Amino acid sequence: MRKEPANRLSRKGLTVWRLYGWLQTAVVLMLAIGAGTLTVIFDWPWWVYIIAASVVVLYGWLFIYLFPKIRWSRWRYEVRESEIELQHGIFIVTRTLIPMVRVQHVDTAQGPILKKYDLSAISISSAATVHSIPALATEEADELRNRISALAKVAEDDV
Amino acid sequence: MSEPRYKLHWVTIIVESLKTLKEAILPLVVVFISGSRNNDSGNWFLDNWSMIIGSVLVVYLLFSGFIKWRRFSYWFEDGELRIESGLFVRKKRYIPFERIQSLNYTEGIFHRPFGLVKVQVETAASSGGEAEAELTAVTREDADLIKRRISEGKKRKVEEAGDAIETGIESAETIDEESVETRVFSLNPKQLVLLATTSGGIGVIFSGVAIFLSQFGEFLPLDKVSDELAGLIKFGVFIIVILVLAGLFLAWLVSVAMTFFSYYGFTVRVSDEELIITRGLLEKKRTTIPLSRIQSISFVENPLRQVFGYGRVLVHSAGAAGDGSKIQLFPLVKKSELYEPLQAIFPELDLREPLEKLPKRGRRFYYRIDFVWMLPVIALVSWLFYPYGLLSLLIVPIVMVFGMWQHRSAAYRISGNQVTMRSRGISLETSYTMRKRIQSAHLRQTIFQRRKRVASIHLNVKSGMGVHDVRLRQMDVDEAENLLNWYEPSQG
Repeated sequence: MRKEPANRLSRKGLTVWRLYGWLQTAVVLMLAIGAGTLTVIFDWPWWVYIIAASVVVLYGWLFIYLFPKIRWSRWRYEVRESEIELQHGIFIVTRTLIPMVRVQHVDTAQGPILKKYDLSAISISSAATVHSIPALATEEADELRNRISALAKVAEDDV
Repeated sequence: MSEPRYKLHWVTIIVESLKTLKEAILPLVVVFISGSRNNDSGNWFLDNWSMIIGSVLVVYLLFSGFIKWRRFSYWFEDGELRIESGLFVRKKRYIPFERIQSLNYTEGIFHRPFGLVKVQVETAASSGGEAEAELTAVTREDADLIKRRISEGKKRKVEEAGDAIETGIESAETIDEESVETRVFSLNPKQLVLLATTSGGIGVIFSGVAIFLSQFGEFLPLDKVSDELAGLIKFGVFIIVILVLAGLFLAWLVSVAMTFFSYYGFTVRVSDEELIITRGLLEKKRTTIPLSRIQSISFVENPLRQVFGYGRVLVHSAGAAGDGSKIQLFPLVKKSELYEPLQAIFPELDLREPLEKLPKRGRRFYYRIDFVWMLPVIALVSWLFYPYGLLSLLIVPIVMVFGMWQHRSAAYRISGNQVTMRSRGISLETSYTMRKRIQSAHLRQTIFQRRKRVASIHLNVKSGMGVHDVRLRQMDVDEAENLLNWYEPSQG
């Protein structure tokens, strides 16, 4: 068995994902309220309320509680001298290997929500693909970005 | 220093006008047809408005072709190919010689009487089949001049770089010599017929003809036939059979003709650094692909061709080379005769058959996912068309057998710095990929796969601007991890 990559995301990343979950659930709640209103107006059967309510509850449970939890605990990364290894995925666990020689450039990005929590996302581009690490403490992300870019510069093609 | 500026040949006007006309054909047709109806109002302008607008458009198109030709010029300066074009917006494009990856030539029917070619300049940045620059029509001599100037420019760069280490002169000499091109592959007319007959495109043409014939059904006076001449129904069936056969034959002829137009005289030649593909009957195309840009090679056998031991060879190139990033290297080749030409082009390639098979315990994953769409479809069809809808249950064994077939076809081999992977969509595809061409590798596993200790491997290879995903599903998890270890630089 291959070892799992060593590092985890920032704990605050979990909080951010939960926040996203709350926002999405709010939208679903709005739709449910809409359905409820229509039920009142057009005199649809009573079970529409039950379905709408259970959809909201289920959605909230999945996207605020369960998925962020699994996603966070699954997310691992490791930056070694000659490669980057990532592991992520809720239903499908994907392990990605990117050799340093193939790294073309590294970016960090920060949206308003990430900024509020002092987090940054890193994206690593090869000639054909882009891979991202979604939530790291800004300071750590900057450091990692510089490290990857330095390693990518010295990495030599073996073939 | 003022460099001479070159113009394109005047045939450019015709070619460019026809090109814009082709793009504008739909609106033009709409204008003409919609205008041809109510034309008896007495007012000449109202009656013929569509003719007027149409003619103005056509004249405009011709004029725009003229302008394009008039305002287009190119020249060589400071190690760059420089192009200036446009009437109101003057567009200047400077392309450094060393950025130019290849020059592709096309001779259309308007080019050939005058001995002209269309030159497409490809760089790494050209995307989606769109060339970095296009010289619509230049004489052969000018095309050769362009080629010479570019290789001279590149040579000068090498000299400058190599000055200090004395190798400059030597490398300059090697470039100076016309590199030798050896012919490695060509198709004869008999093979072209076979290519047309076994291509996947023929199915599309068949269905096209079928639709066309079904339209015919409306014109046949079938009502009368059934009323009065019941005895002639047999004759009608006979007619239909003849029609269908004729239709199939027609489709086949169309397919053969189309194949001849685009693949006639298909030849692959190889020099030190590039592949040169020439093909075409009326429009001759010459495509060059730098060997260093080739990322992955596949041998694809569709089931029909597999029966006869034939297949085709595709290469994925990092630069878009005229026909997109996926290039048909050998459109049709007998498997037993594949090795010699392919080895001539890629001497370091290991062409042995992949022998490592997949474990049996992963077989179910090749068809199990299909039940997700099959069950609802079967339920719906059975319910709507009961009892005949129950026949849709037959799809289950078909899909399952197909999945097992895919599982049985899959195989791989690791040899040195190369991995060979074989898998089947409908066609059997054997991909040969060098480790240094793999941009990133993924190992994927669902919880179900984990329980059966299998995993899928995805190798991302650059293809044009995008990604070509070489993958093998349901490998033994240890072997998949081994493959990942093989790819890992610090372990490999």
